[in-house]
Amino acid sequence: MSSAVLDLRRVTKLYGEFRAVDDLSLSVPAGCVYGFLGPNGAGKTTTLRMILDILKPTSGSIAVLGAPSATEVRSRIGYLPEEKGLYKKMRAWSVIAYFGTLKGMSRAAAKKRAFELLERYGLKDFATARTEALSKGMGQKVQVLASIAHDPELVILDEPFSGLDPVNQGVLEDIVTDLRGRGRTVLFSTHVMQHAERLCDRIVVIAKGRLLFDGTVDAARRLAPRRVRIETADDPGPLRRMPAVAALHDAGGGKWEVELREGTDPQSLLQACFEMPVRLRSFDAAEPSLHDVFVKLVGTDAREATFR
Amino acid sequence: MRCAFLVAWREFVENVKTKGFWLGIFLFPAILVFAGSVPLILSKKAVPTRHFVLVDFDGKYAPAIRAELARQRDAELGDALKTHARRAPYTEPFASFVRPASTNGTVWHGGELDLVRWKADAGTNWLAVPGFVPPRPGLLERPLPPGLENASAPAELEARLRPWLRGETLLPAGDGIPATKLFAAVVIPTGYGPGATNAIDFWCENQADTGLRDLVQRRLGEEFRHSEYRRLGLDPAVVARIDALRAPIVSLDPRKAAGEERVGLSDLLRQWAPSFFVYLLWVAIFAVSQMLLNSVIEEKSNRIIEVLLSSVTPGELMMGKLAGVAAVGAVMLAAWIGSLVAVALFQVSHFAGGAAPDSPVATLPADVIALVRTTWLLPAFAFYFIAGFLLYAGVFLTIGSLCNTLKEAQNFMGPIMLVLMVPLFLMPFIPRDPNGPIATFLSWIPWYTPFVMMNRITAHPPARDVVGTAVLLAGFTALVLWGCGRIFRMAILRTGQPPRLVEMFRWIRGR
Repeated sequence: MSSAVLDLRRVTKLYGEFRAVDDLSLSVPAGCVYGFLGPNGAGKTTTLRMILDILKPTSGSIAVLGAPSATEVRSRIGYLPEEKGLYKKMRAWSVIAYFGTLKGMSRAAAKKRAFELLERYGLKDFATARTEALSKGMGQKVQVLASIAHDPELVILDEPFSGLDPVNQGVLEDIVTDLRGRGRTVLFSTHVMQHAERLCDRIVVIAKGRLLFDGTVDAARRLAPRRVRIETADDPGPLRRMPAVAALHDAGGGKWEVELREGTDPQSLLQACFEMPVRLRSFDAAEPSLHDVFVKLVGTDAREATFR
Repeated sequence: MRCAFLVAWREFVENVKTKGFWLGIFLFPAILVFAGSVPLILSKKAVPTRHFVLVDFDGKYAPAIRAELARQRDAELGDALKTHARRAPYTEPFASFVRPASTNGTVWHGGELDLVRWKADAGTNWLAVPGFVPPRPGLLERPLPPGLENASAPAELEARLRPWLRGETLLPAGDGIPATKLFAAVVIPTGYGPGATNAIDFWCENQADTGLRDLVQRRLGEEFRHSEYRRLGLDPAVVARIDALRAPIVSLDPRKAAGEERVGLSDLLRQWAPSFFVYLLWVAIFAVSQMLLNSVIEEKSNRIIEVLLSSVTPGELMMGKLAGVAAVGAVMLAAWIGSLVAVALFQVSHFAGGAAPDSPVATLPADVIALVRTTWLLPAFAFYFIAGFLLYAGVFLTIGSLCNTLKEAQNFMGPIMLVLMVPLFLMPFIPRDPNGPIATFLSWIPWYTPFVMMNRITAHPPARDVVGTAVLLAGFTALVLWGCGRIFRMAILRTGQPPRLVEMFRWIRGR
């Protein structure tokens, strides 16, 4: 079934005069991992809070798992907010179990599940520790586990990777992969492109509350200019005359970066080099990264947001 | 509803796990016991024997003072022996002089020693009772230190006594008494008497302990008056009889059944018991609201609130918190009331041993039970506790939701605490005129209704006041909770500065 798990129609959120989210429409199909990308202050958290019905949109409509409000289906949703915290005096397992029961699990089932999850994700030894005794990363993992304890159909994670070391980031990626493996839908926001690149089937990019891109990762990559890195002792200047070449940047030490026009096959550049001839010591036609896509889409906005 | 219950349960369990809760539970009875017994112990044990010297240059008044001291000592010993008799009533030789006391058919252990008969029977051996250790005397006259007996004038004597009075020189040990400091010196100068211009010099470093000074003054005042009576040809015994004349007066309550109109201890209890409940209400609201504030601020500053709000509605969260903390408060109150009853019963059984069956102390437990059964005290307390708690807790909860730190919350708490202080100040006045204009007026102010009406409830307030204020209180509480709910919903996710008043009104109006 690929019907939409989440459907946002022309959603706008105003804070006084400030447009936090501006006419945003979005549809998240079931069973996919959806990346929610955008610079700081883009409106990601506001959007997620509106999806969860913690905030009400000023206008527009949101359907979650077929219901007009997340409140009606909240036991089928898991949520990890951006700012993370736990009850300091409670024990790791009891926090997970508590949130599980709030989502409709029985106490016994929630307790059993809490211990299972802690064991599976490497926190077995800390199951009965008070959360104030846990490191920041461990605490964050406990919170992630608390958000998925009730095995929700839709998991919304707001900046789940921030503050985690590479090993724990790996654990979190495993959690997301596991969820996808069991047909759950995961929506997570991040501004670390590598995670989005590795995990997401589709991404959404927003900035200043507006939708800039919504589609597959491949489609996103096609938006960014294709760059080829070459290394040569010759002068590659003549390549500039090729219609396929948009720009040529000297990276120093005989290294150059060739920016190709959209739709150009890097093979044609290689062929042209042989014909010129530009004798190549190396030729690297890597695919554009999401990083490039992100910078291209929101570069200006991000800088503005930083200085706002 | 299920979520509200889960929130309440967590709130209850987590609060019950705190040290503060148990401290609160045990501190109150501990203070009760402490307040009840320590002054008693202190007055008996902690005040040391005061050693003093008495010098009367004319030799005219010292015997009267010594007689008074002996009388006081006799009374001390008599009281101690009575206490001993209560603990061990069957001790021979005085067992036959102890009357076992019974109240309502219950025999209390211990009984009243008939001291006068016992003394008449035992004569000088009246203190020779097995197991009885006479208490230390409170005041003990000592002879003048050696070398001072020959002082010819008060000034000379006093100058030479100073090192002793200042504790630089100690009185010599002897007679099982260790070397001690001279507590005081009473010096009666030559020519002292009624109409004389000179005065007794009372030398003492500790001017706060006036026991000896008062004794001397009281006794010599009596002496002066008696000598004056005699000079005027009056018999001091007649004067004493005249002095003892009292105008009898009985308080009667027209609301009570014929034949039982006399106002007794149970009526005083009826009048003042509500005050106790008001204090209890006040302390409970205060303690519990502090818990609420802490718990909301924890959730807010830890950002747990957002996860919670993805699982429960703000309304459920608020309801759950109020219910959970109310349960904590109720447990605390039950523990306090329980411990109070326990302490009271113990005290009564322990100290009322020899009281006559119809004496106020002996009938106290029955009076308390009757009070609870025949008045609306307990149901009223339950109603006013719930309403008052919801009203104030709702406000405190909202304050918690507005603030990110306890420090911020203190700013808001100031004015609320001022409002909360008023019923505490008024408490002594309301029972005196429970249906007067001040009490009536305050009853109709909803945030004072729980305290003031609680205070009036046993004084038969007009039905109009009872029902009217209850309806008003319930309505007002509902309104406040509704408004608090609206603010809570908006404020709970907010970070940074607390909102301005204008903003809060906008939230209440739902814009």
